[in-house]
Amino acid sequence: MADIEIEIDGNVVNAKAGEMLITVTDREGISVPRFCYHKKLSIAASCRMCLVDVEGAPKPQPACSTPIADGMKIHTQNEKAKASQKAVMEFLLINHPLDCPICDQGGECELQDVAMDYGSDVSRFTEGKRIVADSDIGALIQTDMTRCIHCTRCVRFGAEVAGIMEMGGTGRGEDLKIEPFLEEGIQSELSGNMIDVCPVGALTSKPFRYELRSWQMNAVSNIARHDLVGSNIYTQTYKGKVKRIVAKDNDSVNETWISDRDRFSYEGLAHENRLLAPQIKVEGTWKEVEWDVALDFATRGLANNVFNARQADKLGALASNTATLEEFHLLQKILREVGSENIDHRLNVKDLNNAISLESNIKLAGLEGVDHALVIGSNLRLEQPMINHRLRKANLSGTSIDVINAMAFDFNYQLNSENIISPNQIAATLAGVLKSVLQSAHAQIPAYLDDVEVTDVAVQLATQLSDSDNSVIILGEHVVNNPQALSIANLISQIAQNTNSTTLNVSASANSTAANLAGFVPGKGGLDANAMLAADLKAYILLDIYPQYDFHNSIQATETLSNDDTFVISLNSFKDDVVAGYSDVLLPIASFYETSGSHVNVEGLVQSFAAAVNAPSDAKPAWKVLKVLADLLELPGFHYADSTQVTSEVMHQSHKQHVHDESIDVKAKRGVNVIWQKSPYAVDVLSRHAASLQATKIGQINSASMNKATAKKLEVTQDGEYLGVPVVVSEAVANNCVFVNANHSTGGQS
Amino acid sequence: MINNIKKLVKEFSLGELRGGMKITAKELVNKKITVQYPEEKTPISPRFRGLHALRRYPNGEERCIACKLCEAVCPANAITIESEARDDGTRRTTQYDIDLFKCIFCGFCEEACPVDAIVETQIFDYAFVDSREGSIIDKAHLLEVGDKNEKMINQTKLEDSKYR
Repeated sequence: MADIEIEIDGNVVNAKAGEMLITVTDREGISVPRFCYHKKLSIAASCRMCLVDVEGAPKPQPACSTPIADGMKIHTQNEKAKASQKAVMEFLLINHPLDCPICDQGGECELQDVAMDYGSDVSRFTEGKRIVADSDIGALIQTDMTRCIHCTRCVRFGAEVAGIMEMGGTGRGEDLKIEPFLEEGIQSELSGNMIDVCPVGALTSKPFRYELRSWQMNAVSNIARHDLVGSNIYTQTYKGKVKRIVAKDNDSVNETWISDRDRFSYEGLAHENRLLAPQIKVEGTWKEVEWDVALDFATRGLANNVFNARQADKLGALASNTATLEEFHLLQKILREVGSENIDHRLNVKDLNNAISLESNIKLAGLEGVDHALVIGSNLRLEQPMINHRLRKANLSGTSIDVINAMAFDFNYQLNSENIISPNQIAATLAGVLKSVLQSAHAQIPAYLDDVEVTDVAVQLATQLSDSDNSVIILGEHVVNNPQALSIANLISQIAQNTNSTTLNVSASANSTAANLAGFVPGKGGLDANAMLAADLKAYILLDIYPQYDFHNSIQATETLSNDDTFVISLNSFKDDVVAGYSDVLLPIASFYETSGSHVNVEGLVQSFAAAVNAPSDAKPAWKVLKVLADLLELPGFHYADSTQVTSEVMHQSHKQHVHDESIDVKAKRGVNVIWQKSPYAVDVLSRHAASLQATKIGQINSASMNKATAKKLEVTQDGEYLGVPVVVSEAVANNCVFVNANHSTGGQS
Repeated sequence: MINNIKKLVKEFSLGELRGGMKITAKELVNKKITVQYPEEKTPISPRFRGLHALRRYPNGEERCIACKLCEAVCPANAITIESEARDDGTRRTTQYDIDLFKCIFCGFCEEACPVDAIVETQIFDYAFVDSREGSIIDKAHLLEVGDKNEKMINQTKLEDSKYR
């Protein structure tokens, strides 16, 4: 588009033809009041607040929907513009209640701010104001629809960004109401953003209701660690407590949105279940002690069980995926200093010889630019909401999306094809895709593909990938425990290579990219997580682990850790009976937003953050605990003054990448396959303790889904339970597959 | 020279003393202005800003809606408020403390209040005899002051209202 010159308030400004006037004024820092305009949403031009005077136009024009043209002369401040803005303001205030003193938006309200500049001090409206009944739209958003000024930002957000049109306008004129269409309330995983876009107090945060005024809190930049994105957020704190979380703009990571999990999980920080004091187990009973006593007890325990017998290789360290980069680094450094390579964070993988290693080589923002995507084994919308959002944006601008899943999920975009395939068949299907790709490229076909049958589905998937210039293959979490997980990952990289596709590996969770970066995986001669638990080690250091949720086989793990002669040091942020059962020392550590550290997202972006608040009571940041533990063990090289020194140390070291197994097995397997997936709001200990999140529809997802044939084979019924989870018989699930979404602790799993 | 002589005459005739005694003699017979505090009190302006009180509506409901504007406007940071949604869904304070040591009795809190909940009464004769912490008066105390003195508060606000 050509550069043109326009004149705003007498100043000449360069702009591109066709841009909306408000984009230009925003860029130039000229203030134009607005309510319905939002830079990430479509233009409604319904509030009329941004009226400006355009020379030659008989009437004032709305800046948000007036495309500029060469030589245009615009006045944003002259009498005509001001008079029309004031008139619009007066109309908007006719029905707006004067309840600012009890409104949670008070102090951060766009209407309040604009009314200070454009409102009249005396109302000329003497008739009765209208009142709109509220509807309960769930546990996260509080409505006060009398305050609504019908800007329709929430409606457009639902339709355009969340992809689920849940709010809408009914009625006309005075009777226009913005309300949810269904009684169940808002169910989007991004619904909290409606609170941010609402310019008035019509939609406010329910957990935060009436607690504080906006001016009482300090905003600290932070990073949300619940998923692979690392959304940028502001943690708003008051008197040392996190009181609210709002989105922070970062176009290359999360744009202006964050998921509900990132927004509302902070509630867990104040949960009564927090571990607050160091404890040691003396003759089977727990005793609260001072930090020095507990750490001394821990080091003596390690000495007795491991070091005195010169059996450093009998010490193991396991960490949760939510730990920070620095915590991963320090823990592996301690282990490697004392001479043990038993280090692992991959707790939920059944067979680590069959573990996925697939490079991600696309940026998050780059997802918007792809023209075709193949998603394998992921309920992307609920598991990685912000990645799904990027894909949805791409889809709206024409990207075709194919899905291979074990169950039909509710995607919020149009799929090109949805292939519900039993987990046992995925490798065979992908082999077919690879063969078809190679065939159409007239390339040599390797021997392992000889017996592979190329189905219609495979041809269709292959054609899509080959035909597009910029495609991406996304590998999801459901494949982690597939009997052929390794082969699937290797097939994907083969397909990607042969079709010039990029890959995105979202099979890991939270901060596991950081664990890999810090080398938190077994080194040469070291045992992996499963081998450690099978090898009956003498001592363990566990970082924020809750076995019922974290381990693939929690019963076996708990049994091993509970051995009488095993010394277990547990660093935990929350209390847990099972942890207390097997541990010998419990060290309380800081949770999310209470510690400084770094998150590494799926594209490898390292984002560091500072602690927003102090940990409660006696709890300490885990990196400090580990540093002191190392000092007490008299290990060299642990002189850190703050966590940023640890960060720079990690960034300067290089861990050898594992040479990974390239073998590919394409035979379809037999038997029933269980995909065990934590519910979207049960992925980490903080979200599990966030009451409002748990009260939502997504928070209550707890089912073992299977089709009729599988149910019959397993001899369970609709009312029964499978592995302790209520059974749902549904034909949406592939044959020979049980898809478990569990939100509570359970026993073992097959 | 003349001045010096005049001064000498005045000094030797006890002129200053007689002048002072004249006033004493006059006040001896005049009406007394001294009041016998605390039995008697001088009149106070309706605008006097003394001890704070939280008021209620005639139906007994507390007026305060926890908007925290008084806390925000207080130049001495003397007011501390915590709020929550009460069981009936209304916005209410759970804590409303005023530190009378910090308070400078400027009356901004009263000016800022949108519902005339916090007011400054004409009470000035209070003391903290127990401890220094006694200087912090809480919500129950403030409501009690309001309940006891509602008549006086009403009266003084009414008197002042025509000038506002």
